[in-house]
Amino acid sequence: MAAHCESGTITSLLNHGGLEITEPLVFGIASGIFFGYFHKMKSFTFPTFIVRNKPGQMRTNIEKRLGARFRTYDFKDAVKGQERLDQLLMQNIPTAAQVDFFYMDYVPSWERVHINVHFLVVTGKEGNTYKISDAYFPKMVELDALSLEKGRFAGGSMSPKGFIFHLDKLPAEIDYTKAITKGISKACFYMLKIPIPILGIKGMRMFAKKVVEWPKFARDTEHLSHEIMKINILLEDQGTGGAGFRFMYATFLQQAAGLINKPQLKELSEELMKIGDGWREISLYSARIGKNRDLGPEKLKQLSDMIYDRADVEERFFKTLSRAIK
Amino acid sequence: MLTATDDLKNEIKQLIMNTLGISDVDPKDVDNEKPLFGGDNALTLDSVDAIEIIMAIQRTYGVRIADQNLAREVVRSINSIAQFLTEQKGNQSS
Repeated sequence: MAAHCESGTITSLLNHGGLEITEPLVFGIASGIFFGYFHKMKSFTFPTFIVRNKPGQMRTNIEKRLGARFRTYDFKDAVKGQERLDQLLMQNIPTAAQVDFFYMDYVPSWERVHINVHFLVVTGKEGNTYKISDAYFPKMVELDALSLEKGRFAGGSMSPKGFIFHLDKLPAEIDYTKAITKGISKACFYMLKIPIPILGIKGMRMFAKKVVEWPKFARDTEHLSHEIMKINILLEDQGTGGAGFRFMYATFLQQAAGLINKPQLKELSEELMKIGDGWREISLYSARIGKNRDLGPEKLKQLSDMIYDRADVEERFFKTLSRAIK
Repeated sequence: MLTATDDLKNEIKQLIMNTLGISDVDPKDVDNEKPLFGGDNALTLDSVDAIEIIMAIQRTYGVRIADQNLAREVVRSINSIAQFLTEQKGNQSS
């Protein structure tokens, strides 16, 4: 069982290939931690934010930094897409697939939502049923061929297009010092220096500034409360490992400290855990005011202040982290 | 395996009720094994309550429940919270 579908899927494939590596290490080396705020975008009907890098980027970053190679495929034709998957499974190659989470009918219906960037590992097929390892489930699950096909070829924004990948090659040796240092330095760059005002720490401040304007985008109080409560879901309940991936990144720093013998990373790990607690306070506050429909300007102002505060502490944190690996 | 005491379970019930401001339920009526969520127990809690409980447990007992998969398991029932805390205490002292 993993915390997040993409880092969990990559970790499973690497582990299966013989590389002992943890999910937090994969997440950290892949510079998974991030922040972006989207106030107005065509693909979103309401302002939203992200707390991790772009889907797919973890895989490509892991390839670059560990020297591993994944073979990827996408398809226009669903029949060809399923055939290729079946061929790989016949060769006993566990294969990761991008799917729309909604069609994964081993998930209780009330938990299923349309998310086109869910990743899982297909490990085998018996008759018309696929055997699946899904990060969110402690045990192997089964899925019928039609549901998997629907999930792999769902339409809409970021549609999977039958995308699958499997491990092709592992390097004979891995330079963890180089991989971890690069992973951290890129994460620090994205958080501190990327010159786009909606990304990184700047994005957090944009979020803090703009969240007080959310009522003007909402149809009514119900809609606003739903969107405010979604802050909690995005931070805590989308496979983030808690506190918008901050706890997972803190675990990465703790493990990296031992692996490359940099004790300061352990201290920073503890600091990030505390920073994560502050994000969890934001989760709770958002959930509470949303649930109680207590969404007056003073409440949103308080929420805004809490986010500004996280931006300030994360800015200090990432500056220290950046210096620590030089 | 360490076993959670009844005193700890009662303490947890009290902590939950104080945290959520519940005064109309007798702690004796709260079943230790039945799920706290879903309406089968004397306490009827929801996902927002779950976050409040996790944070209260963290603050009161000095533990961290970071991952949401673990959090879901821990706050399932009074027994599961008590067992988690007992094991954490055992880990700290060993």
